[in-house]
Amino acid sequence: MGYEPSLPENNDNVSHDQPVREFVLLFFGITFFLLIIFWVLGLLVDRAVDYITPEMEAVIFPSVGGSASESVNNSNPRQAELQRMVNVLRECIQIGYPLEVHLIDLDDANAFAFPGGRIFIFNGLLDKVLSENGLSFVLAHELAHFKNRDHLRGMGRGIVLTAVSTLLTGAGSDLTQLFAPTANFSQAQYSQERESMADEQALQVLGCHYGHAGGATEFFEAMKPDGNRSSNVFGHYFSSHPEAVERINNLHRLAGEMDLTAEKVLPLPAVLVSQE
Amino acid sequence: MEQLIIFGILISLGYFFGRHAEKKHYKSIQEREKHWLQLPTTSSKYVLEDDRIIDHCDLVNGSMVVSVDYFKRILARLRNFFGGNIQSYETLIDRARREAVLRLKESCPEANQVINLRLETSSITKGSGKQIGSVEVLAYGTAVYFCK
Repeated sequence: MGYEPSLPENNDNVSHDQPVREFVLLFFGITFFLLIIFWVLGLLVDRAVDYITPEMEAVIFPSVGGSASESVNNSNPRQAELQRMVNVLRECIQIGYPLEVHLIDLDDANAFAFPGGRIFIFNGLLDKVLSENGLSFVLAHELAHFKNRDHLRGMGRGIVLTAVSTLLTGAGSDLTQLFAPTANFSQAQYSQERESMADEQALQVLGCHYGHAGGATEFFEAMKPDGNRSSNVFGHYFSSHPEAVERINNLHRLAGEMDLTAEKVLPLPAVLVSQE
Repeated sequence: MEQLIIFGILISLGYFFGRHAEKKHYKSIQEREKHWLQLPTTSSKYVLEDDRIIDHCDLVNGSMVVSVDYFKRILARLRNFFGGNIQSYETLIDRARREAVLRLKESCPEANQVINLRLETSSITKGSGKQIGSVEVLAYGTAVYFCK
């Protein structure tokens, strides 16, 4: 047998497919797969939340008391006034368990519904609202979150999403970054839906308590970005709350449907008016 | 969002530079393989023509360490989801194998034959997931010199 040197005609050890095509296919395939997983797990979280009674919730999330350094003293008159308003408003929206208001000394204009029946209100919020009705709307919005148990759903989804992303892509890896928008998107869509629902219920509470919808859009008007600032084109798909303008328009539409007119608003209780 | 932009830049850099490097390397490999065709190389234990007298033999080797680009790495990791043929690594290993053999041949230009050619692969970054994956291919064999 003689030796005849020659080179192979084809290289059979490598595939000649387009790598970009493979990348695009895999990327969208996995994104689709993740969206389905997130959706199914989200539904399971919703089911689990239905089984968590307020008593269980209180056991799982015991009261933090005054441990947070920014939380103001319990005897603070402003906090007491907010607590009083919440107690009055909750008669219009049936919530079967006690709610605790905590005023937090931070300048952000924000409020949170937190597991364990706690509403955190940031000091900055009180500077943004102009009337009692405006403040009541924000409080009623947080009450609606409790009513709908959105605080538990949000937290449950957050945990599940993080766990699934980490399990599938490895903690802090490049892939986690690649699929983070997918996770954010599915979380944001759900969150925006719940926020709109809470807005609607808050409007009902206003109607029940004051008999009109005056002041409902006050907070969003204050938070509306300046007209000349260009807004992010894609940002709102990934944001947890609908945009302020959209919420105002939505509230106007809902108020029309509920036959609520905007009448004269009550002034903010003296103790809540900012001292400066 | 910013992270995604950085990610996109890294992937495109990986893709374009990686592709460019690969094309260039393949071109060089093909030219050199054609040139070194004159040096018979087999994995056989015995020399091809046993009627000539062997002057001396040498152990020769050639090796190449090759690393993946960012694009290929991500593509391979995406492939990990569903499993299957990791095509993005194929060209990488193929280049390393052929380059290692070429380097072996280039180390003994005066030899008449290379017999007993063996190839070995080892992962440089075994077990440390955070590092860039790279692989070494080592080719070794016996260079045979016949009497003039």
